[in-house]
Amino acid sequence: MGRYRFILWRPLQLVPVLLGVSLISFLLVHAIPGDPVRILLGTRATAAVIEATRAQYGLDQPLALQYLYFLKNLAAGEFGKSIIFKIGIPKLVVSRIVPTLFLLGYAIFMSVVIAIGFAVLAAVYRGRWPDQVVRVYSTAGLGLPAFWLGIVLIILFSIELGLFPVSGYGETPLDHLHHLFLPALTIALALSPVLIRNLRASLLAEMEADYVKAARSRGLSEAKIFRRHIFRNSLIPTITLLGVNVGWLIGGTVVVEQVFSVPGLGSLMVSSIFARDYLVVQVVTLAFALAVILTNFIVDIVTVALDPRVKL
Amino acid sequence: MISAKPRHLLSAFLVAAALLFTAAQASAGGVLKIAREQDSTTFDPIYTILAPDIWVFNQFYSTLVRANATATDIEPDLAEKWEISADGTVYTFHLREAKFSDGTPVLASDVVFSLLRARDDEKSVLRSMFSPIDKAEAPDDRTVVLKLKGPSAPLMSTLAMFAASVLPEHAVKAEGEGFGEKPVGSGAFVLKEWKRGDRIILARNPLYWEKGLPKLDGIEWIYVPNDNTRMLKLKAGEVDAATFVPWNQIKELQADKNIQVQLDKSTRMDHILVNHAHKPLDNKLVRQALNMAIDQKAIVDVVTSGYGTVANSFFPLDGMDYNPDNPNYPYDPAKAKKILDEQGVKDLTLNFALVAGDTAHDQIGVLVKDQLAKVGVAVNLVKMEGGQQWDALVNGDYDIGVMWWVNDVFDPDEKAQFCVSGDPENRSYYTNYKNPVVTDLVNKAAVEQDPAKRKQMYFDIQRLAKDDVHWIDLYYSPFRNASRANVTGFVQNPLGRYMLETADITN
Repeated sequence: MGRYRFILWRPLQLVPVLLGVSLISFLLVHAIPGDPVRILLGTRATAAVIEATRAQYGLDQPLALQYLYFLKNLAAGEFGKSIIFKIGIPKLVVSRIVPTLFLLGYAIFMSVVIAIGFAVLAAVYRGRWPDQVVRVYSTAGLGLPAFWLGIVLIILFSIELGLFPVSGYGETPLDHLHHLFLPALTIALALSPVLIRNLRASLLAEMEADYVKAARSRGLSEAKIFRRHIFRNSLIPTITLLGVNVGWLIGGTVVVEQVFSVPGLGSLMVSSIFARDYLVVQVVTLAFALAVILTNFIVDIVTVALDPRVKL
Repeated sequence: MISAKPRHLLSAFLVAAALLFTAAQASAGGVLKIAREQDSTTFDPIYTILAPDIWVFNQFYSTLVRANATATDIEPDLAEKWEISADGTVYTFHLREAKFSDGTPVLASDVVFSLLRARDDEKSVLRSMFSPIDKAEAPDDRTVVLKLKGPSAPLMSTLAMFAASVLPEHAVKAEGEGFGEKPVGSGAFVLKEWKRGDRIILARNPLYWEKGLPKLDGIEWIYVPNDNTRMLKLKAGEVDAATFVPWNQIKELQADKNIQVQLDKSTRMDHILVNHAHKPLDNKLVRQALNMAIDQKAIVDVVTSGYGTVANSFFPLDGMDYNPDNPNYPYDPAKAKKILDEQGVKDLTLNFALVAGDTAHDQIGVLVKDQLAKVGVAVNLVKMEGGQQWDALVNGDYDIGVMWWVNDVFDPDEKAQFCVSGDPENRSYYTNYKNPVVTDLVNKAAVEQDPAKRKQMYFDIQRLAKDDVHWIDLYYSPFRNASRANVTGFVQNPLGRYMLETADITN
């Protein structure tokens, strides 16, 4: 029973973490100079109009009070209104969350496929040229900036080869797959090097493990040993690593969504920061934080399920 | 190092993947797809002055009168004709028969409601522009009478602007603030769908009053913030048109025979604000010397790749009452140095407020720093985030700073009021410039009914402001759009309005 107690405890631990995130994001976004109302209304608006608009959004209140109101409203399930878009934030976030989730899922899938393929290739051909190529990629790939990689992929696959659309999101699920191929690939190419290095190392370690030698001595086929034992056991640290990288992944979508104009939460975040749309930034940050925490939670459960020895 | 086999496999995989997604990419007849750099925030015409909003809802709404294609005069829109009383205080408009896109007729009461809303709503951004209106009345369904507090020369120009869009009273009252998402107007197009952060889909308004227009079946405004991506989308033929072509890509796009680049006359002007409240910038001779030390031609050539024009006045090029012969300062660093020496200016360091990450600001900063160094003035480049620079200018926390302006209306009154009149609130665009002669002329020109006399006043204002160096003029630049070769009429008028009711896609 004990190992599953954390499933009950974890959600409670969420509260202080989210409170901390909300306070930090609130302070950070208000620390950026610039006034949302002035950005919205422009240099030519009169002081009277600026004051009226500020009062409407409660921006004329002291900072501490604004934060308390924010918390109070959150507790009541009221997320407030976007200053820029003039609509409720839940409506705004819902309209943007699906493309981001689609892109994230697609990118994770691609990263895992690339990582498993390359790591297995490298481990099997250890020290020979396929291994060398994979190792060069897994080192060089770490330094690839996503915005540059994205443009290169567009020029190559969209302009020169005409295989994929330059940008956008599409209409149907198949259409989404087509449109989001390059953005997902951009993220995958940047994320997979970490996974490859990790998976390759654990594959090699497992290959040398005593139980593998024992299995071999019992006459089990190499393919079966690899599938049943080596591969399965190597996957655990990689899954944990993938979970840890969800925060990074979300950061990656912010950049990639801009380059490929994907109408997701990432591009909403960027435009809201530029416009000082405080509430939107705070709520989206909380949503991202929640996503990271939940993913880690799920990773923990999966790890327990995969390896009975793990204690939490 | 990759051998032939894996490369083959890779390309085979990619081709297969692309074939799998045989998405419906066929372009739908007459729908013009435009990639643009910003998304809309609202379609309610009184709550916004953001260009991306205005450029889209210009297609939904009609106004009483509208600016002509060159934005130098007004022409009829919903009002077929009008009369102005001899004393210039009573305007009577006669409406044509027109319908809103929901099928209801456009009534005089709708016009009255819309104008008073723009004037009185607490959050109406440009309230002050409608303040000359004392009373608005609708004696019958097709007649609107505006009674002014006094004569107002710029009124017709104000009535032609976006904030004066005629809205259906019943729809605005029914929707409240939601009207900004569900616009109903009597313009050439109607809103079909707004996918926030992605695209705005417009369809032809079958009830539009102008016969035979619009030519297009619809328009899609697609949000593509990255400059490179936007241009690549145009090259790939995924969109028919794109806005804000980066200056350094104009030549390359012009060389592509599938693409045409439109450089349309604009009222855009870039300038350097000078804070007259800081010493020694309060000294007119010092400001003149600084102006002479700045090589406008070098700046315009670098920043706009030669597509801009040196500015000789704070009025926009070819705009109403612009004086093409307004005397400009020659680039003369020797003379500038002499004046600065005579004025006892030594060891002067100026804080130059710039927007970080803005290519034009980076270039202007470097050039000005270099040019002023030649006359012994040091420049400290203070790069800030956009909103922060704005705050610094408004709070007077700067010596010099780069800014720009695009006219909302073609009448020069708004710009003169804001930039040189010394109004206590905006202090001549936060420069603290004040010249009583200019203030007096600006106020007189606002009520002058004789166009010739008025023009002379604005010529005098331009000359005086230049002489005082209220700010340092830099350059005029055209709007820059590009479209596929089969698109006609993807143009902006000098106020920035896209004239899409007459645009078309051939073959």
